[in-house]
This record gives sequence, structure tokens and C-alpha cells, in this order.
Amino acid sequence: MIAIEGLSKSFETARRSSHTALADISLNVAAGEFVSILGPSGCGKSTLLYIVGGFVPPTEGTVAVNGKPVTGPGPDRGPVFQEFALFPWKTVLGNVMYGLLERGMARSKAEERARALIGLVHLKGYEHFYPKELSGGMKQRVAIARTLAYGPSILLMDEPFGALDAHTRTGLQNELLDIWERDRKTVLFVTHSVEEAVFLSDRVVVLTRSPGRIKQTVAIGLSRPRRRAQLLVDRRYQTLVVDIERLMDAPEEAP
Amino acid sequence: MTPRLTSTAGLPPLLACLGLLALWELAARVFQISGLPPAHEALRQLPALLADREALFNIADSVRRMAIGFGLALLLAVPVGLLMGRSRLIAAFFNPLLMIIYPVPKAALMPIIMLWLGVGDASKTLVIFLGVSLPVIYHSYQGARAVEEKMLWSAAAMGMRPLQRLVRIVLPAALPEVFVGIRTGLVLALITMVTSEMIARQAGVGNILFNSLDMALYDTVYAMIVIIGGLGFILDLLFERLRAWLVAWAEPVHQIAVGTS
Amino acid sequence: MMRRAIPETLLGSLPVVLVLALWQGLTSAGMAPPSLLPPPAAVFSRLAQQLTDPVFLGHAATTLFRLFAGFTIAVAIGVALGVLATGSRTVGALVGPVVRVLAPVPKIALYPAFILILGFEHASKIALVAADAVFPILLATYQGTSAVEPKLVWSALATGTSRRKALFTIVLPAALPSVLTGCRIGLVISCIVVFLAEMISSTNGLGHLLVYASRSFRTVDMFVPLITISILGLALNAGFNALRARLLAGFPEES
Repeated sequence: MIAIEGLSKSFETARRSSHTALADISLNVAAGEFVSILGPSGCGKSTLLYIVGGFVPPTEGTVAVNGKPVTGPGPDRGPVFQEFALFPWKTVLGNVMYGLLERGMARSKAEERARALIGLVHLKGYEHFYPKELSGGMKQRVAIARTLAYGPSILLMDEPFGALDAHTRTGLQNELLDIWERDRKTVLFVTHSVEEAVFLSDRVVVLTRSPGRIKQTVAIGLSRPRRRAQLLVDRRYQTLVVDIERLMDAPEEAP
Repeated sequence: MTPRLTSTAGLPPLLACLGLLALWELAARVFQISGLPPAHEALRQLPALLADREALFNIADSVRRMAIGFGLALLLAVPVGLLMGRSRLIAAFFNPLLMIIYPVPKAALMPIIMLWLGVGDASKTLVIFLGVSLPVIYHSYQGARAVEEKMLWSAAAMGMRPLQRLVRIVLPAALPEVFVGIRTGLVLALITMVTSEMIARQAGVGNILFNSLDMALYDTVYAMIVIIGGLGFILDLLFERLRAWLVAWAEPVHQIAVGTS
Repeated sequence: MMRRAIPETLLGSLPVVLVLALWQGLTSAGMAPPSLLPPPAAVFSRLAQQLTDPVFLGHAATTLFRLFAGFTIAVAIGVALGVLATGSRTVGALVGPVVRVLAPVPKIALYPAFILILGFEHASKIALVAADAVFPILLATYQGTSAVEPKLVWSALATGTSRRKALFTIVLPAALPSVLTGCRIGLVISCIVVFLAEMISSTNGLGHLLVYASRSFRTVDMFVPLITISILGLALNAGFNALRARLLAGFPEES
């Protein structure tokens, strides 16, 4: 589904020297797979997601989705950002309808579908609120609904719960899994939380600190559907979390 | 508050100058209006104008009045603005009066002030003073109001008295915003100076402009426009240098280019 | 809140009352002859009388026409160039240095040139108003549009919106608070500049009335147009703020 081949990204810094954010990333994600990219801050994990989204061009290497090389953003890949990035001048309904109208859907049909999605993320009754009137968790629900609305086959989630408090965060993780179980979209999920990555994913890709390289890929063999209460006391879950935490703390071998 | 559009220095602005002059020359040749002489003819007047003692005295006089009015305005406006920013009561006291004065065209007070103070330096300096004070008060007020409260608590905990806090904490912390006001004030000082001289028609660069216009010395009119424009540009440039040097520590406003990548 | 608001209003009216009292005191004590400073009652009754006089209102209408013509041109040019300078590197590279050179130039100095090229009638005054108002609008638009969160644009691009369309349907609305602030500054500047232009060279308009009165030493009639233009400025500012609040319903409050 997603094929990343020899990907590198460097940025020009203010002093005209170049800074390498990502080095030699190769990764394949199968259809319907939930893959997390895990790494310390500044390892370029979000940049990797932006390149797959087509928002940022790579310096070297290629990304292909369903065999087609990525040259720009497209409605097959829906982003969800940590910053929510809702349109402040549009209401909840307007935000969710935006993509549908852009895809050419008739207004009445778009509204019907948008209302259904707003119900799916438990925001019924908030259709005519502006984003500024919502809490962080509610804003991120709107952002998820806005992206789900136009039916991308891949979700690109950039630390989507990073700006939320711990309680809201676990609540939204559960909801995300519930939604994901319905149609099992392909998900690329960036996070710096080990528990979050293990709880959600089929596979966790651990990156090294700057420049970001793939340190190790860990398969999460936990059965689905997953329930938080059961997992927390599950020996295999605990071991995975501890192992990956150790892996992240381990000194990095010279390339 | 350093937008890229107004802070580029070096070659591009120079090229822009040349480009504008070329455009002017071209327009003059294409349209052939007597009111628009070609750029080179106007520029030829520059040396004569700058060598003419009387014209030079006029320009120097204008700049002197501007400097005095501007300086006095800063002395009053910065403290008033800072105090307003740190005290609700002082802000409540001054705000309505300032709001009423804000839309009054200051240079338009010239004929009335001339009745009281005559046509001399005092009237023009007073008008410049009034024109500069408002933006400086406003931005100093905004800057002082935005000073992080906890920074003042830390200062108080170190034993600083209120006046010390105002001078040693509030002033430097508000300085980037104060400078925005001073820059606006500087541009306004020049505008008010030229305008008041155009209205009083007695001395200064504004007077030279309209006298030459009346005498149909169009080359001189345009040469004078170039001189005033240059004055504005150079003052702004010098001020930017000073500002960059004094508030080098301030975080530049984050600018992200969107649209092309 | 309310208990605090009332004394503050009182406090704020104090300097205004003091100025009026000083004015009244100077005139009634005979320290200022009416030819230099007419009593406030004389000025305000003359103002009330003029506001019903068709000749005076005709001059005011002339001033308003020039004001709005110049302001409209400034908004059209300023917003368009500001958005395009953000959206296109080429436009930005052309507009940037020209603005850098022209913005600090006192535009009033161009007035003789406008008179020579466009004549003594409306056109030269409208051109001066536009030249003066365009720079704050352009700069505010550029600043606002270039500071728009890129992820807002990405969210739109991901649904299939083109970059060109996103520039006007996403970047411009997102920058609206800044654009409108620039427009409000431009509006007040327009109000001041049109009056000054009429004072310097005109045969009609409010500014001309002031100069005309000063030539015949009718002091009362000098105050009336000045107060009228100031009230006009206050009213336009307040009206624009109300419009701004309506347009920015979804945006967070500005501090």
C-alpha cells in the first residue's frame, strides 16, 4: 500500500549548512495495517509523515502509494495534525463538509454525510459551534471527522493526541480504535508515547535521534479488538512496552 | 514585528529604486505630459538644489524642527504609554481622551495653532510633537501591557521597587513593541513636517515644493520629491539598524512562506 | 466587573471634561479673545447648524466620495498584492523591495506630482488617499497571509484543492483578522489624508472649508470642519470595528 524507498531529508539551516532530519528510511506498510512511527522529539518522524502526505518533498528516495509515486497531496491520504488545523471561520459542520464539497458532492448530500460523521465522533449537537468554542479533545474529534469524511484510504496521524491531557488522550485512543475496527483503514501514526504506540499498532517503527534512521521495527502481536483494561494487566503488553522503552534509551550505534 | 517585506536590505531595494526610476523615465517618454518630466531631467536638478544655500537651509530647518518635535514626543509618550500599560487606572484615565484625539488630522491643526503661536518654529514643532506622540503612546501601552506578569513577580521577589521595575523590567521587555511605535512615529513626523509646511507655506521643504509648483518649475518639484522620499527612506533605514542593534535579543516573529515550496 | 467599570468610565471622562472646562474657562474669563479661541458653545451650535446646511453637507459628501474611492482602490490593490506576494515567490521578490523603498516615503510629498499628472480635481486627491492607505493594508495582508499555519493549507490540499484556490479560499480567510486590522488603519489614514489634501489644494470639501475660513479669520468656522472630520473618523472606525466583529465571529478574541 505504502512503499517508502531510501528516503532522506535535509534542511537548509540559517547558517547555510544543511541539517539531515531523516536518513535512508525504507518501509512498507500493507493495506489495513496500523503502523506507528515512534521516536524522540526532533528525530524527524513528523517530517516522514509530511513527505508521505506530499506536503514536503524528500531530498532523496521515493514514496509510492498503491504503486503510484507521491508528487503532492491527494485525497487518498488524509492528514490529522496535532494542531487540529481546523478552519476557524467555519463551524463544526462547515469544517467536516469542506472536503466533501471539494470532492464535488452536492451540498445536501454532503451535509447528511457530515452530520453522520459528527455523530460518529460523539459531537451531535455541536454542529453550529465554531472551533474556538470547543475543548482540545472536541477539536481533534472534528479534525478526525473532517478527514474521515472524504474517505481517504490512508490516515496520516501526526501526534494527534499530543496536545491533549492524559484523560482525554486515552478516551480518544479508545474511540480511534473503535472507528478503525469498522473499516480498518491503513494508518501511519506518529507519536513519542510508547504506550500509545503499543496499544494502537500492529507494528511499531522506532527511529533514532537526529538524523532519524530506522532503529528497529517491532511487531505487536496482541489480539484485536483490544480493550485497555485487559491490556494493562496483560504480561505481553507490559513486556512490549518495557522492551521498546529500553530500545529507545539504548545508546545509538555509529552509522 | 519585523515583516520581511520591510526589512530586506542591500541590493534588492537599490534595484527597486532603479526600476522605479526607469519606469518613471519610460512613462514620461510615452505619455509626454508637461507635468511629468523624464526622470533624468528631474535628477539633473538635484546637485543644484543641494548646492543652493537657501534650499539647504530650508531642508536643515525642517529636519531640525522634526528632530525637536520627535524627541520631545518620545520623552513624554514612552513613559505615559508604559505607565498606562502597567496601571489600569492610568489607562482608564487617558484612553478616552486619546481615542477622541486619534482621528484628528494633526497637521490640520496648523491654521488654528498658527493663530495662537504664529507661523514660526513653535507651531510646526508642536504639530509634529502631537503627530508623533499618539502612535508611540499606543505601542508603548500595548508593549507594557503584554509584559509577562511572572517576570515582574520575580523582580519584586528580588526586592525591586515599582519604579525600578518599570525602568529595568517593563521598558526593556516592551522595547520591541515600543520600537514599532517609534518607527511609525518617525514616518509620521516626516509626514506632519512636510504637510504642515505645505499648509503654512512659509518655509521648509513643503513650501519649496508648492512654490516650485506655482512657478511651474516642474523639474524642481520632482527633484524635491526625490529628496523628501530619500530622506524618508534613509531615516527609516538608520532607525532599522538602531532597532536591530538594540533589540537583537527579541525573538523574530515566525514567518512561514505558504503557497509555494 | 460592573462595579469596576463605572468608576473607570468616570475616570476616563475626567480629562475630556477638564479640556472642555479649560476651554470654557479661558473664553469666559476673557483670557482668550473669541477671534483666537471661540467659546465651545459657539463652536458646537455652529456645528449643529452646519450639519443641516445643504452646502456644508455637499462639501462633506465630496470629502466622503474621495475618501471611499481612494480607500477602495487601496484595499483592492493592497489585499491582492499582499496575498500574491505570499503565494508566489516571483511576486514576493518584485513587490518586497518596491514596498521597502516606497513605504517609508511620505506620500504627501507625491501630492504635487499627482496634481501635475491628474489635475486639481478628484483624481489627484483619490490617488493620494490610495497611495497613503495602500501600504498598511498591503503589509498587514502580507504579514497575515505569510503567518497562516501551513497545516491549515495542507488540510485543504489533502482534499484535492489546488494551491491557487487554497490561496484565496484558505489563506486569505485565515489571515482575515490581520487583513481587517490593516484595512482599519488604512481607513483612518484615508480620512486624515483626504482632509489634508483638501486643505493644501482644493476648491471644495471639508478641508477646503477650514482653509477658506482661516483666510477670512472666521475662527468658529475653522473648528467646525475639523470637528466634523474627527467625528467622521471616529464613526468610520467604530463602524469598521462592528463589521470586523461580525466577519470574525469564528476567530479567537485578540488580546
